[in-house]
Amino acid sequence: MTTVKHYKGPVRADGTPIELPKKVLRLQQTAKAKNKKPNRSRLGDFLIYSLLALVACAMAFPLVFAICSSLKPLDELFRFPPTLFPRQPTFDNFSDLLVTMGQSWVPFSRYISNTVFITVIGTFGNVIIGSLAAYVLAKYNFPLGKPFFNLVVTALMFNGYVTAIPNYLLMTKINIVDTYWAIVLPAVAAPMGMFLMKQFMEGLPMALIESAKIDGAKEMRIFWQIVMPNVKPAWLTMIIFSVQSLWNAKASTVIYSEAKKTLVYALQQIQAGGIARTGQAAAVTVVVMLVPIATFVLSQSQILETMATSGLKD
Amino acid sequence: MKNLRLSMKGRRAVSGYLFIMPFIIGFVVFMAAPLIMSLQMSFSEVIVSKNGFIFNSYFGLSDGQTLGGIYAAGGFSAVFKAIPDLLGLDNYVHALTVDPTFNQLLIEEITKIATHTIAILVVAFVIALLLNQEFKGRAFVRAIFFLPVILSSGVLVNLETDNTLMQGMQELISEQTPFTVTDSMMEILRLTGLGGDLLDIVFELIAEVYDIVMGAGIQIVVFLSGLQNVPASLYEAADVEGCTKWEAFWMITFPMVSPLLIVNIIYTIIDFFTKMGGDLTDLLDEKLLNFRYDHMSAMSWIYFLVTLAMIGICALIISKVVATDE
Repeated sequence: MTTVKHYKGPVRADGTPIELPKKVLRLQQTAKAKNKKPNRSRLGDFLIYSLLALVACAMAFPLVFAICSSLKPLDELFRFPPTLFPRQPTFDNFSDLLVTMGQSWVPFSRYISNTVFITVIGTFGNVIIGSLAAYVLAKYNFPLGKPFFNLVVTALMFNGYVTAIPNYLLMTKINIVDTYWAIVLPAVAAPMGMFLMKQFMEGLPMALIESAKIDGAKEMRIFWQIVMPNVKPAWLTMIIFSVQSLWNAKASTVIYSEAKKTLVYALQQIQAGGIARTGQAAAVTVVVMLVPIATFVLSQSQILETMATSGLKD
Repeated sequence: MKNLRLSMKGRRAVSGYLFIMPFIIGFVVFMAAPLIMSLQMSFSEVIVSKNGFIFNSYFGLSDGQTLGGIYAAGGFSAVFKAIPDLLGLDNYVHALTVDPTFNQLLIEEITKIATHTIAILVVAFVIALLLNQEFKGRAFVRAIFFLPVILSSGVLVNLETDNTLMQGMQELISEQTPFTVTDSMMEILRLTGLGGDLLDIVFELIAEVYDIVMGAGIQIVVFLSGLQNVPASLYEAADVEGCTKWEAFWMITFPMVSPLLIVNIIYTIIDFFTKMGGDLTDLLDEKLLNFRYDHMSAMSWIYFLVTLAMIGICALIISKVVATDE
């Protein structure tokens, strides 16, 4: 009876190993050698994480600085050389900001409700309309679908300067200048989200849609119950983008009435108040950042973690 | 039976049209029509009068015809005046040969876009790969890496131009972030006799890192989502077949993620193109303020065509790479 040390392969009833063909043994050995060799060394790990940490610091710095500044009393804001962390943190800047807000000509809640309205309607419309179109372009043989999509991608490459004047003329024509729609409608029609959605939906297995069709689901139902839940990361990303751009919309060129101005516009007026308002300006920065960051924090786990679930095993 | 099938097909087609129509309408009204008008502007001499715009155009439309009736509105109207001896390409010729700065700014911008796009893609891909690994506090680290997206496209950029605090902050950033570290390190290395031209080049690249990293937020997320969409079973199969991690990277990860490369390239270039504050946008702003909409349109279109050519070249190269992998 020949027992081999550390042998874990197949054995006969009496304990002797079954000899495998030499080729298999060799393969097993090379596989083991490969497995044994650690893929990452300690030093590599260290370098990778220190790189990540460095980059992360660079990315987080503006945010940290903005928050720290908003907590500094006025004298610390002008200290030279400047310090990053406040020595005597205070919420004075925020309470000052509230006082200034209370003195505004139009009640401040008006600005807030304007921006909330614009953000909610614009984002909602953008996501729905963009996703519907993306679904058709990704999963149908839509006539002229491909050239149309190429046209959309091409249109993405223009900057605001190209369309600024014509867009304004158009808005005067359809009488939406100085209404919320002047901000909302172009945002709803923004092609960037549609582009993202289409890219994601292409990865959705056709079998999923076909099986739903065989089960007798109507198009609308397939869209809402099959397609949309499966591309959740995509439309969450779209929501982040849309909320961000609408929340930060100043739109001072298309809105004149004070009562229709946006929050960011009003806050910038406070900021523009000069040196005496430096503290409040810092507070404004933090206040304006809150909503986009909150949107991201609320949806980031969804976006980043659940992207893999496609509902089908290939 | 045959009838029923046809009608189902028909119904499906109808719902398809219903799905896509709102987007098409929005796109045509807010994107396509303005683009066409801008193109017409670039080929015309645009005069802003108190009665509205007058397009002195060489092209097509007869005297006094309004642009499809769409734009004639309120106090503003756009009227075409056909002037046959006006050369249509005047604005383009002006931009390329007469304007003293446009050429130079265009070339600067393009080289900047090209180098930054490549750098951003590489950085984003590497960081996405790292963030895709399992480690403690991953969600938090990922959140940090998404911050630039919120900060750069949002308030901070808008605010920093007209705000003393933000100016101070900008100075502070340039004082406190790696730049000074690199400067002081450079001094030390020079003093110890290690300095030289090579070191300068390396440090210049490092100084750019901040810009590149700040511009890579979205790209990281897009790559990360692509990486997470790669089925784990593929790696398992490769592992069973005795594939090394390195091989798996090139045979599985890269081909699976490569469709997103083009998404990211387009996104990066658009991001650059639409970002405010470059020297070229200053020039366009100046044209806008001086009511030279015709010059502005022509310049924008030249810039666009160059960008399009760049993206086209990138797409061609990438499609070749992807094709050989299959």
